[in-house]
Order: sequence, then structure tokens, then C-alpha cells
Amino acid sequence: MLHYFVVLLTLLFSTAAHSSSLEIIVVTSAAENRLSAGKSFAGITVKPHRPVLRAVELAVFESSTLFETLGVDVAIRQLELKPEVDVQEQLKALTPASLIVLDLPLDTMEQVASVADQMKLVAFNVRHSDSRLRDSLCLDYVFHSIPSDRMYFDALGQFLVHRGWRKVLVVQGPSQRDSDRAVSLIESLKKFGASVVDQRVFSLSHHPDDRDKNRPGFLTGGISYDVVAVIDSNKDYGRYLQYSTRSARPVVGDVGLTPVSWHFALERYGAPQLNERYRNFKKNELLGPQVAMTDAEFAAWSAVKLITNSLNTRQSEAELDLISVLTDPASQVDLYKGTRGSIRHWNHQLRQPILLAAPQAVIAVAPMPKFLHPKHYVDTLGLDEPESKCQLQ
Amino acid sequence: MNTGKVTDSSRIHSHRLGRMLAFCFFALSSLFGPVMLGAPVVAATAVISNERSGDLVFMNESGETIEVMKLCNRPRGMAQRKSDGILYIACSDDGEVIEFDLATMEPERVFAGLPGAMSLAIHEPSNRLVISNEGASKATVLNTISGEVLATLPTGHEPDGVALTVDGSLIFVASENAGIVHVFDGTTYEPVKRLITNLRPRRLAVRDKELWVSSEMGSRVEIFSTASFAKTDEILFAPRGFRSEQLTPVDILFDQSQTTAFVALGSANHVVIVDAVKREIIKYILVGRRPWGLGLTPDGERLFVLNGLSDDVTIIDVDSKRPVRTSRTGLVPHSVEILN
Repeated sequence: MLHYFVVLLTLLFSTAAHSSSLEIIVVTSAAENRLSAGKSFAGITVKPHRPVLRAVELAVFESSTLFETLGVDVAIRQLELKPEVDVQEQLKALTPASLIVLDLPLDTMEQVASVADQMKLVAFNVRHSDSRLRDSLCLDYVFHSIPSDRMYFDALGQFLVHRGWRKVLVVQGPSQRDSDRAVSLIESLKKFGASVVDQRVFSLSHHPDDRDKNRPGFLTGGISYDVVAVIDSNKDYGRYLQYSTRSARPVVGDVGLTPVSWHFALERYGAPQLNERYRNFKKNELLGPQVAMTDAEFAAWSAVKLITNSLNTRQSEAELDLISVLTDPASQVDLYKGTRGSIRHWNHQLRQPILLAAPQAVIAVAPMPKFLHPKHYVDTLGLDEPESKCQLQ
Repeated sequence: MNTGKVTDSSRIHSHRLGRMLAFCFFALSSLFGPVMLGAPVVAATAVISNERSGDLVFMNESGETIEVMKLCNRPRGMAQRKSDGILYIACSDDGEVIEFDLATMEPERVFAGLPGAMSLAIHEPSNRLVISNEGASKATVLNTISGEVLATLPTGHEPDGVALTVDGSLIFVASENAGIVHVFDGTTYEPVKRLITNLRPRRLAVRDKELWVSSEMGSRVEIFSTASFAKTDEILFAPRGFRSEQLTPVDILFDQSQTTAFVALGSANHVVIVDAVKREIIKYILVGRRPWGLGLTPDGERLFVLNGLSDDVTIIDVDSKRPVRTSRTGLVPHSVEILN
């Protein structure tokens, strides 16, 4: 079912010889239960989880002046997938001018991305940071604007080494996702010269037999370290480690100092203006002072702004053939993080700086000083071309 | 020029401003005395607006602070009416522009209702002041004699740099977010053209029949014809040890002859001297952290470079192209105006 609900089209100031159009399709799943998403066992929201639609609307709101100038018609549509209907059937109304934003749970996202690629439709993964996807979804028409876990952990690894906190105790949760991410973290730590003094798995059980895995003092005791790095994808346990470790050491990773792509307290690079706009641009849906785009929302905003900004950086009037825009190295995006973003041609990942943030402040922006790459300033973060199994083009 | 204490606030139209004046402090003026400003050895005085500490620092050419004055909240852009020694100061958080009399060292008038007032450009022959209103997606044209708003110019989001042609027939406003320089007719105030720029156009400077635009995130200066509005040229930078994406140019300034340009390179911590005719880089000069604001003494001998993240100003000797002194400013220095 397709809802048309935002249409902006005016040619009042058109200077373009020809006009073009862009249709942004935000794909969600009727089967996804959003009510319990991001909540802990006790029902406390530990990870804000919002539809990315508002961020897409913000990007279109910001793009309106340029689109109007160049005569680009833009529309946002929501497409809620029905699990019982064939995906290809549900995507058949889309055209090459459709930019698909996949606001979907992992398994559905992988499926829809593959179908979109077969149909030669451009699709953006905006929610899933799993490094594995950068290799497994190695497809001509699929792009990732949310950072990969490797990008996040490389940023953290650089930060720890820059601070001289090289002895790291890794504490992880018992889930498969936690184990996969711990592998990514340890690869990043080793890449930059930090050492893992031990890797321990916590348990949610309070049974006395499990106390060495549950009581923070035991879990972090009996060893010397500079810092504790926590992998806790559900944010169920790790947030209780701070101020309870056996040694008085900082906690980083999924709690404490966290690598993120966006933050409400970023003070520089125009970020306060972007955050203010995000909160206030919908006059009847204002948001509170510390609310900012989640990383998924920021990824959705980035995807649309990359298309908009390509009109500035390529300077080819109103040329919006999506796949040519996205495969042109001249296409760049102002991410309000001090360094422009662009697409890595080998695995279609959006390269970008990563923020290292405490709850109330952005402590650093990676790449950290002295971590240099031979080709691109931010390519010390994430799978570099020689390491990537995905080798597009 | 007189640096006596500003105690008489009766001429100020805003009572809040009067209250602010109570906070004026003159720690250094008592040290150097009121003679410094007019002393013959120091030809020029620099006024630096500091957006975080919310004050103005008056500094001589040697980099010595003469006076610190707290006038308003978040002072940013400034412009001088040279004919009669008036300084306009944009007070962003107050949404006001202050008209400051440099002879009496007192605020004369306050123009209110200018939300997010950021950058200023003055056209003295027609007594007009153009003000970008960050956050309000517009610019305002003000008659500085009557105080009347002559026009409100709609722009894209985050308008910053403003400029006029020498004859005042065209007004330019850069929208950082849209990547557009809006061109308005200086008489009718109708939109004439939108120039598509590279990422994040910040500051504008007019030279001959050219408009120079710094693209902060595009790491270049773009040059447009003010006659045809076509992009005619661009200047890229490459100081040693920096990648293109680390170069974030902001302020552009021409010397009196308009044959030399100075560009502050932001995150690259350098200011660059450019041959404006040949478009050739003459020299990169290392300064403090994140240089943005620039000012040149009337004799063209000293360049003031404001370093926003190290809270200081680097004073450069233009002939030898070397820094001669770095002095402390207020917190987050934004703009500098050099008085005659």
C-alpha cells in the first residue's frame, strides 16, 4: 500500500534546462513489533528506536531550496511490506528514480535489498552495522549509510591507543550478535596496537553459581587493565558496569564512552543548527532539547543529503540518475561532522568521521590525530579496500 | 578617540543594554591608560568580537589589549561605517544589531527584531546594512539612518556570508545548508539568481566583477562573474601535511588593490595568501587553531587572523609573510574590524 503524503514541486525559480524527479521510498515491515524495540526486560527504553521517516522528511525539508532552484520534483512515500506478499510484487511500482530507504529488521532488510538489486533499484541499509553485511550484501545497487561495526570499533581503538589506554579487558554478552561484534572489536584493537588482556562473558543470571559472571566486581577482578570495553548489544547489563568495576577504570563500548555517528551535544561543524532543525522543523511535532537523530535516522538523512549535495559537488545541473550519482567519486555530502562524506566504491559504505561520545558530550571525533591513511583521511575507519572481501567495480 | 568609561547609558534605546553596560570591565585600560588608542606609534586598532565570552576586545597593532567591553550576547559579525566612525555589531543571541559610536565609545542605537543576526555587510553610499539571520533562513536590509527595514530576503537554511557590489546594485547571501548563493536586486530586492556552489558556502567577497565564495566543506574558493553569474574559476588549496577534506576555508579578504587575497583555512590551521589575478597560491602561513575571521590594517601591513579554537589572534606581517605575534583574545573570537 502506498501513501503519498509529502509532495514538493515547484518550478518557480527553475534555471535548469530539464527537470528531474526523486522519489524516496521508506520501506518498513508490517511484521516488525516496534513497541518493544530498544526496551530492556523491565520495559525501560535503553536504545531510542524511532522510524527513520522524520529524518528523511528533514533531509527533504533541507533540500527544498536547491531542488526548487534546479527544478527537481521530490516526493516521500512510505511502503509497508506485507510479509505474506511477494517482495518483488510489492516493489514493482518503483522506478529508477526511486531511492529506497530500508527501515527494516535484519532478515527482511537482507531479503529486500537483494530483490531491489535484482530489479536495479537503489537501496540504502540505514539500520544495520553488522560488518558481515558489507561483504555479504556486495551488490551493485545496495549502499550502507550507517557505519559498520568495524568503523565504530576502529574509532574506539584509535581513541584508546591515542589516550595510551592499551590494556583492554573485553566483557561481552552471551548472544551470537555480541560474539560477532566482540570479534570485530578485538580485530580493531589489535589493528591499532592495543592488547586484549582477557575476554569475559557476562551472564544475566543471579544464581550464586554464576556470580563470577554476574557480579561486576568479580567479572572485572583478578587482572590488570587500563579500560573495560563492553559489548552488550541489548544494553541490558553493561550499563551496570560503570562505577562497579574491580579497578577504578573507565568503561567504553556499548556504555560509557560510545562510538556513534551522531549526537545531540556535538558543538561544532554546524551540528547545533542541524540538531535544532531536527527538533523543530515539524511545528506540530516538536521534540525535546536533548533529542537527536539516532544513528539509523542520521544514516537515512545522510543518504538523501548525499543525493542532494551531489548537485552541488558534481555541478551537473539537475542530473539525478541515482546509480551514476552514487558511483561518482565527485558525489560528496556535508555531514555536519567537519569532514565531508562519500561512498567507498569497493563495498558501497558511506565513509564518515565517527564521534566518541559520553552521555552529555562528544569527547573526540575519529579519525584520531596521527592515524593516517595513504589515500583518504577517514579510511583508517572500517574495512579498507585491500581488506574488503567485497570488491565492487 | 577616547576610551573613558561608558557610564552614561541614557542615549541607549534598550534598557537591557544599559544593564549590560554595568558589566563592562576595563582591567587593561587602567594599565595602558586612555592614550594608547590614539597614540601615534600604533596606527590602527582592531576590534575583535568573541562569541563565547560575549565581549569585544580592543587591541592595538602590536597585539596588546587596550580594553574589553561586554555589550551583548554572542557578538559575531561586524561592519564599519568609516565616514563617521560607526561600528555595527551583530548580537546573535539577542537578535539585535548595535550601532556603536567609536568616537564616544558608546552604543548609540539598538536595532531589534533581527533573530540570529550573524554576518553584516555595509553599503555606505546608500546607508544600507545587510544582515544574515541564521536560523530564520533570511537576510534583512536595514536603512541605518531611519532604522527602517527596507527588505526581508528569503534564503535557504543557515544563511551566513553577505556582500554587495560596489555600486550596491546586487546583494549576495550565502546559504550554507542549501549550497546556494542567493542574488538579489539591490533596488527592488527581487531575487535575481541562485548560484549553485560547492558544499557549505560560508563567506563572500567582491572584487572587480567577481564574487568569491568560500566553500567550507568543498575545501575551495569558487569565483563567479557578477555580470553573467557563471562560475568562472576556482582555487584549490594544498598546504603541506593536509588532505583536501581537512581544508575548511571561511573568511576571504582582499587587500586595498584587490590583487591579493587572504583566505583562512579553518581546520587546516593555516591562512593562505593568493594572487587574486593569476589565481596562484603565494604562501601558506601556519597560525592558531581553526582560523576563521580576518582583518587587514588600512596600510595593508598587518593581517589579523582569528583562531576560533585557540582563543587567540595571529598578527602577520604582510611584507615578510611571517607571523609577528600571537595574542590572547576572548573566548571563540569570531570577527575582527580594524579601525583607522
